[in-house]
Amino acid sequence: MAVATASSGLFTDVLFDEGKTRAIVEQHGSPLLLLDCDKLADQYRQLSAALPGVGLYYAVKAFPHAAIVNTLNRLGAGFDIASTGEINLLRKQKVNPRNTIHTHPIKKDKDIRDALRFGCSTFVVDNPAEIAKFRQYSHRVGLLLRVAFRSPDCSVDLSKKFGCSPEEVPALLKAANQLGLHVKGLSFHVGSQSTSPGTHVAAIEACSRLIAEYEVPIRILDIGGGFPVDYDHAGDIDIQAFCAPIRAALAKLPEHVEVIAEPGRYLIAPAAAAITTVVGKALRGDQPWYYLDDGVYGMFSGRIYDHARYPLHVFRTGPQRPSALVGPTCDSIDVIEEALDLPELEVGDLVVGRMMGAYTAATATTFNSLPIPRIVVFNEPGRD
Amino acid sequence: MTKTWNETLYDAWGQRHDIDKVYFELDTGHQQLMIFHNALFGRVMVLDGVVQTTEKDEFIYHEMLTHVPILAHGKAKRVLIIGGGDGGILREVCRHQSIEHVTQVEIDKAVIDMAIEYLPNHSAGAYNDPRANIVIDDGCRFVAQCQEKFDIIISDSTDPIGPGEVLFTSQFYSDCKRCLNDGGIMVTQNGVVFMQLDEVKTTAKRMANTFQDVHFYSAAVPTYVGGIMTFAWSTDNKALRHLDANTVRERFKASGIKTRYYNPDIHVASFALPQYVLEAIGKADNS
Repeated sequence: MAVATASSGLFTDVLFDEGKTRAIVEQHGSPLLLLDCDKLADQYRQLSAALPGVGLYYAVKAFPHAAIVNTLNRLGAGFDIASTGEINLLRKQKVNPRNTIHTHPIKKDKDIRDALRFGCSTFVVDNPAEIAKFRQYSHRVGLLLRVAFRSPDCSVDLSKKFGCSPEEVPALLKAANQLGLHVKGLSFHVGSQSTSPGTHVAAIEACSRLIAEYEVPIRILDIGGGFPVDYDHAGDIDIQAFCAPIRAALAKLPEHVEVIAEPGRYLIAPAAAAITTVVGKALRGDQPWYYLDDGVYGMFSGRIYDHARYPLHVFRTGPQRPSALVGPTCDSIDVIEEALDLPELEVGDLVVGRMMGAYTAATATTFNSLPIPRIVVFNEPGRD
Repeated sequence: MTKTWNETLYDAWGQRHDIDKVYFELDTGHQQLMIFHNALFGRVMVLDGVVQTTEKDEFIYHEMLTHVPILAHGKAKRVLIIGGGDGGILREVCRHQSIEHVTQVEIDKAVIDMAIEYLPNHSAGAYNDPRANIVIDDGCRFVAQCQEKFDIIISDSTDPIGPGEVLFTSQFYSDCKRCLNDGGIMVTQNGVVFMQLDEVKTTAKRMANTFQDVHFYSAAVPTYVGGIMTFAWSTDNKALRHLDANTVRERFKASGIKTRYYNPDIHVASFALPQYVLEAIGKADNS
């Protein structure tokens, strides 16, 4: 990891200036992932303002990185963790374990023990077999029961793999209670990149009813993530407006219920950008193909796993034609864009991708023994 | 603003300490150890969010884990301590002039060094006792390979969730049994039973495979919060658990040791388990 000096307007100014972008490449090499902690802090503040009173637990899986954890920890964020590796990252940044929740619905016993040893005692469950795993830790844990609400308008539907149906909730609450386990909350995750808050609202209302119907107090509602970012224009989504119906629904919850959320993408996606270099070009049929020094096995992995299309730009002008942008590996799937309108590029040209913080470096591989691109951190708090 | 430390043992409830001063902090990336000063408990050592020992209440734990088996045995000459890096058990064992040899197996020398420096009253010089043989090794491996025999084995470990996990296994118990002379006693710390009832159940089951008499005795240690702490008791000589108070009194008097918690009546009474604990370990009564 390299640490760069403060650079204001990194994504709005610097990366649109070829000279400044080249200066970064000259200093740090190519390909690069640039992480701006100021932008991250800004996103955190935006979402906090849009969801007042809601505890935000950053989904570490989106981009597990020390500078991100450090930045958010200083802002008072909590952390949503799903593995021992993520716990170790938080330990190194001295995160208070009480500000963490373990949200993986399926765990090995060792995962549970590692989390308990760290001091995380909040765990997500969604089925009887998982609940039974906690019997031996009954007093040590507080459980969140994950309920599935299918969302037709999310780019990644998370309610298929995880979550019990709302109808199953009473029986599961009872089963946990009989084992002496404390279900302290309900949780749901509508999926990724929710395009409208309708599913959040419906889920909040349904959970509110489930909480009211259960005789033992349930004091936490975890509304998950899914808060969207604008990949098409790399602009700022009006998160205040998006969250307005959610705020209204939360206002109707019983007074004792504390609300938390697990944002990942919203916080980190706009806070990173990639710089790659054209290392080869060819004409295949009528179409220009440009070979970059990073692709879908690297920072652009979200192109495959996350179904994301990142806003890209180059520093040339001229007549545009549909061109392919592909990665450096030998695999034919390593295609970032099949037919993006681009001017004629030359070997050595830079290609910049923005909105590249979420599920990019996190899922990058070393296929072809190519190293994972270097991450350059800007504006990390506590560093000069 | 007051600096505080919150124990993370239980999700819904726990103890809080105001920190007057931090003496020592070690973060290996895998475990976090801290020694700080608290107005009520003096120096407090915590590991991974859990109180390990404090200056003010350690005597209860260390006296009970040591004097009960040694005085119940009556003729103990050789003692094996597993863990116990803070030195408190070693200190109590060395108070018995009748003990000729004590081996302590601690996995991490750094724990001993740190305790001597920051918790000097725990060992109170016992690490310099000529009868003490300090071995830096994994307690599990040590008993698996050990050719010596002991009259008493004391397992002073961390909780089963954490580095002490292997010291709660059937393999460890049966290896310890092999290292005991006939009529020997093994005792282990076994957690706060009201909060961790399953630990008692598991230990009772596992020890019963190896020892003819398995029971628990108890003491309330303030910073092991949640009620009485249980100590597992295992031996093949059931009579050792049912000594009359006079016998213990004579032995205690003969030992000449001074205690602050332990006394012969406490000794005898500590084997009386509450009904919910008996039920958990499948016993009808304390016989």
